[in-house]
Amino acid sequence: MAEPKTLGQMLEARGISRRAFLKYTSYLASSMALTPLAAKAMAENLASARRQSVIWLSFQECTGCTESFTRSFAPTLEELIFDFISLDYHHTLQAASGEAAEEARHIAMRENKGKYVVVVDGSIPTKLDGAYSTIAGISNLQMLEETVKDAAAVIAVGTCAAFGGIPAAAPNPTGAVGVDQLVTDKAIINIPGCPPIPEAMTGTISYILSFGKLPKLDHLKRPIAYFGNNIHDRCYRRPFYERGLFAKSFDDEGARKGWCLYEVGCKGPTTYNACATLKWNGGVSFPIQSGHGCLGCSEPNFWDKGGFYNPLPAPIRDVGKVAAGAAAAGAAAGLISAAAGHARKKNAMKEGKS
Amino acid sequence: MTDLLDFARGPALQFSLAVFVFGVVWRLVSLLFMPRLKDKSAIRSGAKPTMIAAVAEFFRRMLPKPEFAKRTRFTTINGWVFHLGLAIIVLTFAPHVLFIKSLTGLTWPALPNIVIFAVGGVTVVSLILALAHRLSSPVLKLISTMDDYVTWVVTITPVLTGLAAASHVGLRYETLLAIHILSICVFFVWFPFGKLMHGFLVFLTRGEMGAQLNRRGIKL
Amino acid sequence: MNLIDNTPIALTGINDSLLSEIAERLSEFAQTGQSASIDLRSLPMSDADRQDLETRLGHGEVEVKLDVAGLSEIWETSFAGVWWVRHFGGDNHITAEEINIISVPDILHAHQNDARAAASRLSKIIKEERHHG
Repeated sequence: MAEPKTLGQMLEARGISRRAFLKYTSYLASSMALTPLAAKAMAENLASARRQSVIWLSFQECTGCTESFTRSFAPTLEELIFDFISLDYHHTLQAASGEAAEEARHIAMRENKGKYVVVVDGSIPTKLDGAYSTIAGISNLQMLEETVKDAAAVIAVGTCAAFGGIPAAAPNPTGAVGVDQLVTDKAIINIPGCPPIPEAMTGTISYILSFGKLPKLDHLKRPIAYFGNNIHDRCYRRPFYERGLFAKSFDDEGARKGWCLYEVGCKGPTTYNACATLKWNGGVSFPIQSGHGCLGCSEPNFWDKGGFYNPLPAPIRDVGKVAAGAAAAGAAAGLISAAAGHARKKNAMKEGKS
Repeated sequence: MTDLLDFARGPALQFSLAVFVFGVVWRLVSLLFMPRLKDKSAIRSGAKPTMIAAVAEFFRRMLPKPEFAKRTRFTTINGWVFHLGLAIIVLTFAPHVLFIKSLTGLTWPALPNIVIFAVGGVTVVSLILALAHRLSSPVLKLISTMDDYVTWVVTITPVLTGLAAASHVGLRYETLLAIHILSICVFFVWFPFGKLMHGFLVFLTRGEMGAQLNRRGIKL
Repeated sequence: MNLIDNTPIALTGINDSLLSEIAERLSEFAQTGQSASIDLRSLPMSDADRQDLETRLGHGEVEVKLDVAGLSEIWETSFAGVWWVRHFGGDNHITAEEINIISVPDILHAHQNDARAAASRLSKIIKEERHHG
């Protein structure tokens, strides 16, 4: 077998220049808020890296994450990621099926033992020993354990794989959990979002390829480069927030003028993601620009936080009923206190008379 | 899996508001239905109707008597400053307006954040001056109880944590916001049982005082 | 009919601070040769801001078009040493946009490896032509 080529040699053979590497890495460096110096170093490193074997496991998911990932599959700059990685197993994208598909996974695991990266999208059901979701006769739980065993790192893409996601929404019938609740002895990167921004996925993978290490992560194991800022701080509508100009509904004057969506439930202030800067579909727009508040989809439990249209300062539990109960109890307690006072007074007067 | 902010916005707010409502209603009802000694003295001639006397007394006490104006100038002005400051912050900061709307359904326009920041700064200084005055005046210090100090702490904490949250200093925003909401929860819980209750009782005490003085023909 | 798209988003005022940043970096570059770069995509700029910045910086003597994994446009602004670098991805959307403060942006330099590949390709062509000729 010939010595495996570096990515630089591989692409050179196809007439792709180092300028393309530099352009690609300045695009990534920009998305990761790295300095242009880093882009240059990244380009050099990437060119001398080997193609990365990636095994993509899809569990309780909707394929939205794959849709998002392949949205970077435009026939130019963004497709380069598919030259950098060897996607050895992916239900939706691979040609093989059935036994052959599983065989591909096993071969990749054998040949790249200790070096391959596992990407997981979808949550893993744990109730009934994982019987809620099975592939090729084994539960997701088993497939995860088996595949992750010899992996170099695990990337959980999407909120389901990272935090349990929609399947874990109350009352979580399948006992769905995210990867890091099951895998404790491997490097894990969470790239949440519903779906995640494609650059956050490709950028993170390219970072690992070019620097040979994981990017800096926050307390939820998210790359700080993409999840270091909250939406609110980077939102172009922020000046309206500061001036106190808010849309009160989705069709009022404020909404038409593009004012802040805080009052109609925007979760931007507590959501960490790159939507406000990288935007979607190649920088075209993002939810807030399209007139809808942020749902907070890259945060754990975003579906169970009191409703998408409830503003942040509103309590997330029903306070009205409890307050009414408390008022009734307070009134009763007050009347009892007063009655006790009256009784004392009566007694005192009786004693005074006798 | 729930975080601090979820806890603050959920169970903590629910619990503290319940305690607040219970406590306030309990104290007011027991006070209003308390047995009272009948004032058997005759109403002095020329006395105003009781209700008018009560309301008049409430307003009269908003400013000191001219004789005392100079001596009480600091407490009067400083008291007005932080009370108005707190009112402006609580009632006109956009997120607070939303909070009140979510509880009561009532809403009104908010002021720009920059105004709230300025008022917040002034209020903090004013509250600190109030404490300094309490500690430096021998008489005031002597009559102050733990209640006064706890009340001061639970009042200034939400202002400080609110300013920190709104300007994103120190910790992450969601943590600051959670701490701010929790500090308000503490305020709510303390309110009915400490001196903060004057927010309701001031109407009763001043009114009652006005009614009594009026009955006895005291000219004010 | 998209109401939101037609909504003009006003200038946010970010350009005033951006321009002083550029001025500072440029005088540093003039004195010490220290190059710098400002990533425009990571800043909360509106489209109007971008337009405004482009107008204020102007176009200078050099304008380059690159065809590298999609188009790229690079021009020197009317201030020597201040370059505007704009990379396009698929569907001609902007994937990266930077202000470079440098004598020539890195991407314009031919890489040693590319030169090597080009050299061998060229000599191969010459050889073949001789062979056929």
